[in-house]
Amino acid sequence: MTLRLETPRLILRPPAPRDMQASVAFFMDERSQYAGGHVGRFHAFKQFAHLLGHWQIKSFGLWTVTLKGSDDAIGMVGPFFPEGWPETEFGWLIFEGEGKGYAFEAAQAALADARDRLGWTDIVHYIAPENARSITLAERLGARLDPDAAIPFADKPTLVYRQPKGEAA
Amino acid sequence: MSGLVPFAPRLETERLILRGPEKADAAAVMGFLMDPNRSLGFGHIAQRGEAWRWFALLVGHWHIHGYGYMVIEDKATGGAAGISGIWNPETWPEPELGWVVFDGYEGKGVAFEAASAARRWAYTDLGMTTLTSNIVPDNARSKALAERLGAWYERTYDNENMGVDELWRHPGPEVVLA
Repeated sequence: MTLRLETPRLILRPPAPRDMQASVAFFMDERSQYAGGHVGRFHAFKQFAHLLGHWQIKSFGLWTVTLKGSDDAIGMVGPFFPEGWPETEFGWLIFEGEGKGYAFEAAQAALADARDRLGWTDIVHYIAPENARSITLAERLGARLDPDAAIPFADKPTLVYRQPKGEAA
Repeated sequence: MSGLVPFAPRLETERLILRGPEKADAAAVMGFLMDPNRSLGFGHIAQRGEAWRWFALLVGHWHIHGYGYMVIEDKATGGAAGISGIWNPETWPEPELGWVVFDGYEGKGVAFEAASAARRWAYTDLGMTTLTSNIVPDNARSKALAERLGAWYERTYDNENMGVDELWRHPGPEVVLA
């Protein structure tokens, strides 16, 4: 059984070693500053390798997003729940193609899968207050700011956007 | 089976088994990383969530390179006694033979026995032709073990993760496999 999601323009598949260069380049770039990135090559590798490991350990994680007709990663979106995380999170990393609605399209499909296949009923998005694009995306996906929710790191200001509870897609 | 790396080898020595990481190993690896006294020379991680991510990195590294850190299992107790294997994240000067022994298993020659087996595996199954070990300057125990393994100091370099670091060179397969 090959896990794979399809949208009108995109394919979502589990991340693979061949995504490493695109992912490492993203985590080294300033654009990843709100996503645990804008770091040196070692730490960028660490981010990518741990996302691969997350899939192996949990059997789910951030999907690699590709355009139909190409196997090149343009981003990663999906459920994320590492040890110590307050709640089941759904996150996104946009490597390229910003402004074309790819993230929204991919996130809609992966959110539906998280609800249907993983049975997730209470999903949050952790977003840096300065990250206006991600706030817009979270709202477009139906999430609302939850000022009372727990945040992952006490010393790191984080907004928590919450999806409507228990809504199966 | 809770193996996270289906293709990992299973190496057996007199007292130890070296095998791929399993879900149940997370606790022992995290315990080591979170213990400042033991992990300072390796890369101490204070926070539990970050320690878990390092364990996930260990698993991901196997899938990227096809090799990585094996868990050292003590035959007598069945417990996880440490990790040893070949480590090569981005920015590493060369593939590294690494070893770590967990609390309660030190002073018994576990690291020497495990690292010797991991080195043979790298030179035979992986076909590597040379190996190094990266050791922080004040880690006297690791240097003593490197010397016992026949390795020698080669140069000092700047490691993105560890800062000032020493590169030790191991004898090649022609010596180790002879």
